[in-house]
Amino acid sequence: MSLKQSGAFSTVETYYNDYGQRAKELNREGKKVIGYVCSFVPLEIITASGAIPFRVRGSIHEPITRGDTLLETIVCPYYRSCFDLSVKEKYAFLSGMVIPHGCDSMVRSFSAWSYGLPLSYFHFVNIPSVCEESSLEFFGSELNTFRKSLEKFTGKAITEENLDQAIRVHNENRDKVRALYEFRKTDPPLISGTELTMTLTAGSSLPVEESNSLFDQALTEVKGRGNSPLKKGPRILIDGACLDNIELIQLVEELGGNVVTDTICNGTRDHFPKADADGNPIDALAHRYLDKINCPKTYRSNKAGTFEGDIENRFGDIGTYAREFNVDGAILYVYKYCDPFGFEVPARKVYYQSLNVPLLHLEDIYSAGTMGQLRTRIQAFLEMIG
Amino acid sequence: MAEEQKEAKPKKRMTATKAAASIGPMVKEFITGTLQAKAEGKQKVAYTFIVCHHEEIFRALDVMPVWTENFAGICGAKRDAERFLQRAESLGLSRSLCTYALCGIGFDQWREELGGMPPDAPWGGQVRPDFMISSGQILCDPRSKWYQASQQFMPDVPIYNIDLPYPLFQRNQDHRDVWSYYHQYIVKQLRGLVAFIEEQTKKKMDYDRLRELVNLSDRTWNLIDETYKLRRAVPCPMGTGDAMNTMVPINFMMATQKAYDFFVDLKKELEEKIVRGEGEVENEKYRLMWGGGLPAWYALSDFNYFNSKGASFPVETTYRMVAPLHDMDLPETKDPIEHLAWRWLGYWTFWFDKARKRPGSEPDVERLINWIEEYKIDGVVMHEAFSCRTWHVGLIWQLHQLAKIYKPIPVHVIGKDGKKEKVFKELPSLILESDIIDITSYSEVDTRNKIDAFVGALESIRANRAA
Repeated sequence: MSLKQSGAFSTVETYYNDYGQRAKELNREGKKVIGYVCSFVPLEIITASGAIPFRVRGSIHEPITRGDTLLETIVCPYYRSCFDLSVKEKYAFLSGMVIPHGCDSMVRSFSAWSYGLPLSYFHFVNIPSVCEESSLEFFGSELNTFRKSLEKFTGKAITEENLDQAIRVHNENRDKVRALYEFRKTDPPLISGTELTMTLTAGSSLPVEESNSLFDQALTEVKGRGNSPLKKGPRILIDGACLDNIELIQLVEELGGNVVTDTICNGTRDHFPKADADGNPIDALAHRYLDKINCPKTYRSNKAGTFEGDIENRFGDIGTYAREFNVDGAILYVYKYCDPFGFEVPARKVYYQSLNVPLLHLEDIYSAGTMGQLRTRIQAFLEMIG
Repeated sequence: MAEEQKEAKPKKRMTATKAAASIGPMVKEFITGTLQAKAEGKQKVAYTFIVCHHEEIFRALDVMPVWTENFAGICGAKRDAERFLQRAESLGLSRSLCTYALCGIGFDQWREELGGMPPDAPWGGQVRPDFMISSGQILCDPRSKWYQASQQFMPDVPIYNIDLPYPLFQRNQDHRDVWSYYHQYIVKQLRGLVAFIEEQTKKKMDYDRLRELVNLSDRTWNLIDETYKLRRAVPCPMGTGDAMNTMVPINFMMATQKAYDFFVDLKKELEEKIVRGEGEVENEKYRLMWGGGLPAWYALSDFNYFNSKGASFPVETTYRMVAPLHDMDLPETKDPIEHLAWRWLGYWTFWFDKARKRPGSEPDVERLINWIEEYKIDGVVMHEAFSCRTWHVGLIWQLHQLAKIYKPIPVHVIGKDGKKEKVFKELPSLILESDIIDITSYSEVDTRNKIDAFVGALESIRANRAA
């Protein structure tokens, strides 16, 4: 796949296609690279320890083989792909791995990961299922346990100053992502969804400082475009979990749509919420990762007492993005076997109706093999709303 | 919508014990009890889940639990889940999700739409709750999503979601280093539950009563452990088929005198059978462990099929949701809420210390190894239910780890007299595949072919050892 890019996006494409290239180099230089899956892993603590957080990715082009000899096929297909690539030593440069309680697939496969990969460091971060005062306290303690375990592994104390600095630099990263999203507000957008997802995916394979620098270059390049290279078309929001392969977004854009925003993990879910820079850093991280990350895995109580009030509370970010980015339609893209998202489909459908945003719901299996079927459905949807 | 689709009535499974045979009417009685309680309006009824260690709180505040997983299981066992599953699918819910939850949501949506029970609802149907207690656990995602999805169709029914984490086994971490803050959190969660139920019922918690109920549960836990350990006897007096019945008092009737009395009777019955040398099967040839997975509720007669081949199941990991309290070394406390939280942590970390001592082990594997030895097991059977990640992910890996110990070649060990002994430890395994209640995933012919082949493997291993 080549988008024939130059400058920053050429670098992005290199890092995207040879995912982990830079982490491999850094590992050779003696740096510790810590792999993670899911938006719930507090990256700031890894950065504060002097190690480099690296988001483990799957591949929709690689058939799952070895992974299936160790893990059941009823696991979320995205996660199975991440596991499969890992046990095939695609990420052999990792020094360790962190898995959070993001879903049952993660919890129940923790042993297979920790025994299946020859890594000297493994840690599980327990994430509360509710968001209230007691769960924030508990999560703060759990983050301190993670902090101590990394201190033991790296042989370096993680001070409050280290954490404050890591929060600052990760917040900068989020500001830059937000600035990239701003370029999607024009019609047509100045940056395509494909370019943006590729950029964010590439960024998650780099030390945060290098990611910041890459995003700066991308910002400068997009700003310099003046006119959009894209054509006007239906403005689409992608709603779902992690979409770290660009094919779906590329497909929408090939068919004449413009993906202008999302709720996906390696999109707004990971990058929009910032940690508070003042006060106790562990409290700030507990608050960011438990309260501000809007994942269906976290149960949010129905304070309104009505269904309409409840869905506004749970999915309000969708409405905000739909308005902010002037969305014409949305694609709810859910992986088979994903319980947290799967159970929300009926309520999300109603929410989109309340927004008057047409919705296409797709259930998929994280495989390039399904793109043909998706093409037909997406084409019909775009024609309908276009 | 195929609302009229119903499968043929399943063949009734033969039980080995009188106690197991008495369970059906007991379940029917408490389903009917929930309907009656709702009609009379004297007692609040609440949806909830098993294995939350909160039954004592329910009962102390006179709330009648409606075990929604149980009702879905009944629909499955009666081969009458399909019409509710299809209704859930029509709402946009994928068949790949937990089918207990799909069945429950489909049922709820239908009942709310009709303003009454769906036609021919199994055993009178699932009552509309006054409130719902869901549970976000490290155990199961659908537990915090199911009632939230159902609430779309009954928005006036409030939910309290109780968070009950436990530390996951990590080889380089002693769980006792972290469990004090786990305990503090669980206590707060349980106190929050008490406050919520007090508000719903307008009753105040009687902590003396709660203490008595907690004590009753503790005694029941120990009694169950003693009772189930009797199944180590050769021949085995009670198998897993029966245990899929006797799971009812463990999981749905805890903190009641009736549950305690049930196990007093079962223990007596098993002791008598042992004295008479009476096994689950007449000529016990093989002793198998049900090593993981919830059963296919519509196909429990498969256990009889195993029995017909001379195979008995002295032990199962499924639904044995208790452990001997005297082996847990829990901190002393007079506060029943604090004790419930310690018991929760004690149960989930029960195998951690043993697992840490054995390279390559982890708690689920350690339990398998211990029970293989204690119950003299010849083979392991698991069931992979496609719709449930909670109990069914990790099973393949566990069998991998077991295979490193129970190798298909004779191994030499140092015997008690200090001399080398040749030991055969090969332990074949079988994974059956279908679902908990979705009968469309099940093929009786394929399942029984697999069982035949597995029994063939057991026979050939035995013949090789004898040669």
